[in-house]
Amino acid sequence: MNSLILTAFARIFFAILIGVSIFILYRGHNQPGGGFVGGLMAAAGFAVLALAEGVAAARRALPFHPVTVMGIGLVMAIVSGVPGLFSDDSYLTHWWFHAGDFHTGTALIFDIGVYLVVMSGILALVLRFYEEEGEH
Amino acid sequence: MTSIILAAFASALLARPLALRFAPHGGWIMALAPGGLFVALLMLGLGLPANGPLSETVEWVPALNVELTFRLDGFSWLFSLLITGIGTLVTIYAGAYFAEKSPEKGANFIALILLFMSAMLGTVLTDHLIVLYVFWELTSLVSFLLIGFDSYKASARKAALQSLIVTAGGGLALFAGILLIGLALDTYSLSEIATRGDELAASPLAPAILVLVLLGAFTKSAQVPFHFWLPGAMAAPTPASAYLHSATMVKLGVYLLARLDQPFSAMPAFGITLIVFGTATLIVGGVRALTQPGFKAILAHSTVGSLGLLVLLIGLEGDTAAIATIGFILGHALYKAALFFCAGTAIHATGRTEVTQMSGLATALPWTAAAAGLAAISMAGLPPMVAFIAKEYIFEAQLNAGTNWLVIALTVLGNAAFVMIALLASIGPFFRGRLAPLPLQHSEVAGMALGPVTLAGLSLLFGLAPALIAGPLIAPAASALVGAPVEVSFSLWHGFTPMLALSAVVVVLGIGLWLAWPSLLQRLQGGRLSHALGDAGYNFVFDGVLKIAKLSTRILQNGDQHRYGAIVLGATVVIVVAGLIAAAPPFALDTSLDGFRIGPAVILAFMVFGAVCAARLISLLGAVVAAGICGFGSALLFLLNGAPDLALTQFSVEVLVVVIMMALLLRLPVRRTLTRMRSERRMDALLSGAFAFLVFLALAAMTTMPLDLTLSDYYRATSYPEAFGRNVVNVILVDFRALDTMGEIAVIAFGAMTVWGLLRRRIRKTAGGAS
Repeated sequence: MNSLILTAFARIFFAILIGVSIFILYRGHNQPGGGFVGGLMAAAGFAVLALAEGVAAARRALPFHPVTVMGIGLVMAIVSGVPGLFSDDSYLTHWWFHAGDFHTGTALIFDIGVYLVVMSGILALVLRFYEEEGEH
Repeated sequence: MTSIILAAFASALLARPLALRFAPHGGWIMALAPGGLFVALLMLGLGLPANGPLSETVEWVPALNVELTFRLDGFSWLFSLLITGIGTLVTIYAGAYFAEKSPEKGANFIALILLFMSAMLGTVLTDHLIVLYVFWELTSLVSFLLIGFDSYKASARKAALQSLIVTAGGGLALFAGILLIGLALDTYSLSEIATRGDELAASPLAPAILVLVLLGAFTKSAQVPFHFWLPGAMAAPTPASAYLHSATMVKLGVYLLARLDQPFSAMPAFGITLIVFGTATLIVGGVRALTQPGFKAILAHSTVGSLGLLVLLIGLEGDTAAIATIGFILGHALYKAALFFCAGTAIHATGRTEVTQMSGLATALPWTAAAAGLAAISMAGLPPMVAFIAKEYIFEAQLNAGTNWLVIALTVLGNAAFVMIALLASIGPFFRGRLAPLPLQHSEVAGMALGPVTLAGLSLLFGLAPALIAGPLIAPAASALVGAPVEVSFSLWHGFTPMLALSAVVVVLGIGLWLAWPSLLQRLQGGRLSHALGDAGYNFVFDGVLKIAKLSTRILQNGDQHRYGAIVLGATVVIVVAGLIAAAPPFALDTSLDGFRIGPAVILAFMVFGAVCAARLISLLGAVVAAGICGFGSALLFLLNGAPDLALTQFSVEVLVVVIMMALLLRLPVRRTLTRMRSERRMDALLSGAFAFLVFLALAAMTTMPLDLTLSDYYRATSYPEAFGRNVVNVILVDFRALDTMGEIAVIAFGAMTVWGLLRRRIRKTAGGAS
């Protein structure tokens, strides 16, 4: 799409959307947000890049192929449940680390997995729809 | 016994590399495995009568109450000796048979044969019905691979598929029957079921059990009307035919029926069904042998007949019937495997497949001819072979049980067919005429002669010295069937009895049939009779299923998006209306305007406007924007009603929908063309109107019902103390119901991957078309 304004701002939008999406992913445990919404926003960020600079640029911004990222996300979600097997004999019972009021644990790994799957799943489609003939 | 089965499977795993390593002698080397097992089983079984049945239990699936119980009694001992003994000879024979093919081919074949042997051993040695079923289906699978071994032949592939569909399909019925037995008696142990026949017969499930188990056994043992797959299975290489389709696998159905004879005999329908189907199969096998000239095909049809005879025998009551069953299983396995070996050698040597094309092979293949001659005498039921004694017992069993004269007459006729086939398989190809002038492609080798000579020799030996088997082998096996000790007096000469008279009739009739065979063959070959008795019914059903599949695809999957939408909406409307009609008392609508808020009402009005625009606009771009109004409107509604998470998600989704739709619009014309006729559009409007009205009704009715907040309260109360998160929605997603979420992201991932792959092909195709 040949819009000077869009092209000029695309990189900034991209950075902001990715940043916000990660923030939303992280804060999701206590406030509105989470891996699913975060993943959708990140996909939107890549979509902006693809619209402004083409599919090739969006692809370059992601170090791996979307399908690979999808697999990584799925594996993270699956693996995050394994520790529970050892402590509670129950898959997906999460482990927690506490530091005063700060809590984090394997649930975050699970949520990152959700984030990656949603983002790259949509990205795989968006890139496919926007790509020119001959690319793959 | 567990170790025996493990050793069998281990030998199957090692067979391929080992047979390749010792390439030309792979058959001899690998035969050590079944040979060793044969010796081990022989030693194990010889101690049987004193100790009673041996049994061993290993836990397998404790949660489902399935354990690997193995049990060796006289009957399973007989079967396991046949399996390993003939297995040894088949392995040796296969090594020689594949000698001049590529070593891989021979090695693969031997590996499959040993795998098959292991599955058979498992089936006959287990005491647990579910374990039996697992091994049973494994034999069907391996049989499929062996029949289709020459996978480059379309006929072999078709025969393999046919046998798999019939036997594995019947296996499913058997599995259902087994589960019902378990339901009725609360046990899967064969030895326990054997003692609780009365309970089984009294159970309301008894008729279903009977039908399902018989389906399983009849398909496996090629009883009418499932007999057609067995002659088709002759597409397999001859060693496989000798092993699977004469001596062992097809007898599994017989094995199961014999095992269940004791508990099932309390059901009156069991015996009579077996007699009717067994007799029909015996006659069909005999008649079909008149319609085909192929050497292996003739033998295959006689096997169908023999299996019918066995089923008929199981249907009879009494000790004599049990002895006759055991004797005929043994005698038939010995002579039929030998004859298949001889047929294979003759076909291998001449390169021809029909008996009418072979003559005088005795000079070139003396050992094979001798074995074929002895085996044929045995098959014809003449003294001094063991099958003669078995046949005398068959008639004695029928006379003792007071069998209907028609069944006896048909049995005589069926046995006459055996005499005819025995003569066809021996005199013509081996002893009559001179060696045809064609050059023999192969001469006799030790590996191919050993099998038939050994088996035919045993037929003779057991006939001359019946005491060798009567006490140690036949008596324990018959006792295991009857469930009480059985006296067996096996001898060649019984005096002038009615049985002997029947045997004489059989021989005379058989010779008459043999003399008439050439002219009958000419008249019947390829005729309507052979067609009707063949797999015409199977083809009819099979083609019918394909036709229905095509028809339903044409109606349901016709590629018209409008029709898909109409079907989904229409079905939903019908289901919901049916639900509403069935719901008593009728639901109430809350018509009061308490709690009416102006904000949501305005948003809803906008959404209605957006929906109408989306439907009416000709410009696709405009329609996308209008649909977006609906989406953003619902996001606002979520926000106003205290669901910020949902709102956030809905906003993001709407953005992405616009992005994706734009991508698609780039490939489409900007203005859509109207392809729907006026009447179609009216129908669409009616359907979507009805759908919308129903959704409205359902929602309105839901609001009048009291809301159950137990679960929400629980999550709200526990989300921070247990999962350290204040956002209940997210805590549910990643912690409380994390397994659900994992399933959902897996679906997303696989869905996305599928679309991604499908679109790649599409784009490449169009790119190729453009250039």
